[in-house]
Amino acid sequence: MKKLIFSLMLGALFHSAWASNEVKVEVVAEGLSFPWSLQQLPAEQGGWLVTERGGRLLHIADDGSVNAIPLQLPELFVTGQSGLFEVTLAPDFETSRELLLSYACGSLSANTTCLARASLSANAPYETTEVKQIFAAQPLRKGAAHYGGRMTWLPDGTLLLTLGDGFDYREQAQNLNNHLGKVVRLQRDGSVAADNPFPDKAAGYIFSYGHRNSQGIVYDPARDVIWQHEHGPKGGDEINRLQAGKNYGWPIASYGIDYTGAMVTPYQDLPGVIQPMYQWTPSLAPSDMALYKGDLFAQWQGDLLVSHLAGKRVQRLRLNEGTWQVEQTIEVDNKARIRAVEVARDGAVWLATDAAEGKILRLSPTGSESRR
Amino acid sequence: MLKTLIAFVIAVVAGAIVGSVIQTQFNLAALIELSVPISFDVRISTIIHDLIHFSPIFALLLAVVLLVALPIAALCSRKLGGTERWWFISAGFFGLLCCFVIVNYVAPMPTLIAATRSWEGMGAMALTGAFAGWIFDRLWHPLPRELAEPLI
Repeated sequence: MKKLIFSLMLGALFHSAWASNEVKVEVVAEGLSFPWSLQQLPAEQGGWLVTERGGRLLHIADDGSVNAIPLQLPELFVTGQSGLFEVTLAPDFETSRELLLSYACGSLSANTTCLARASLSANAPYETTEVKQIFAAQPLRKGAAHYGGRMTWLPDGTLLLTLGDGFDYREQAQNLNNHLGKVVRLQRDGSVAADNPFPDKAAGYIFSYGHRNSQGIVYDPARDVIWQHEHGPKGGDEINRLQAGKNYGWPIASYGIDYTGAMVTPYQDLPGVIQPMYQWTPSLAPSDMALYKGDLFAQWQGDLLVSHLAGKRVQRLRLNEGTWQVEQTIEVDNKARIRAVEVARDGAVWLATDAAEGKILRLSPTGSESRR
Repeated sequence: MLKTLIAFVIAVVAGAIVGSVIQTQFNLAALIELSVPISFDVRISTIIHDLIHFSPIFALLLAVVLLVALPIAALCSRKLGGTERWWFISAGFFGLLCCFVIVNYVAPMPTLIAATRSWEGMGAMALTGAFAGWIFDRLWHPLPRELAEPLI
């Protein structure tokens, strides 16, 4: 298996191309404080919702103007890696106007990943009402690291939410009696989904376990598969095909070692542990993931776009004979750390850079029409 | 001066080796609690891995700690009296303990060295500082009976 992955990585190295002149980069907005997620609104010319880790929810109109949307999240906790994470729209958003927001809640000595619902007003200037916390991962923990916080909707209307291991609690990712290092599956009101694989454990929310800090998850409708990625420690970032009830190995099997150089586990593979479909060593720190579907980059259909923090790039990966291979590497804005990637309805790719003066960028093919 | 330098280097290297082996045991114990099989061969290969990859970083931390703590211990011994050896042992222990707290406060991750997540682990790792302090004084100012001991 090691040889296979090594050869795949070697192959990927020779096939990747750095940002070529086929991709045009436009700055949509700048001066955002650590933007974390991007969500396009469904209305024509409806603009985008953007979260900032500090707790602000923003609306970016099609002309690039940025307006803050008042939002009071219950017990929001902002420090280190904690704060406001992702915003997603309910499947029936156009009629319900319902948003779901993942965020860190609590205090430095007792915090966790929470989920809130809110209603967004129909017209600009936007407002949020009926903000209510509907889920809090258990138990509360100390420190401000590894929250997960990415979400994706499944076709049955349930929601998957990724949860980190809290860094100091890595062994708990193997403990089915809590939510540390798990992916949980919920109903949109925060209640537990009916047919989760461990109904008698941790209030029945667990969908999969053995995760370190997962910040990328997408449902792939064409293949009927859930793709997820997660940060490894020093090496061992992974792309997984997520399946209900499966163990993804952390911290008993990993391709990474600790930041100090110490071994976390002597095993890369163990019975009962699902192997990653792709792994990055050294780590690039994958921060978000989007599945490409659109008209602008016609050759990219079904490819995964993965943004990286430490890696300061976006990678486009293609599924080839059952394994993911890096097809293209795109660097933007003088090698900026990239926090979020999303595909717009017109097929352009939107990125958020991870910085105190963060930018929202739009990628489109060279020669295509500009946004404005 | 050369004697001091040699004593210092040996103390740091010895402390780093012992500290590396100790932290490996804590990490493996955590895996065993999760029912992960750890055979003798696996334990030895993990120790060797950590000696190669972990001990240099730990040696750096220990060197910085001892550079500060040992002169303070020497000063205390001179000004306050008492057994010099115990001053150096205490300086290594408490110096490393302070170092863990400071590093965890400054580093982006909550705990830099996983073995120090528990009080037992932190205490055991700090004991390697005590060991390094003992080694240093043992080489720097050996007692008459220690000088009389055969080399081999």
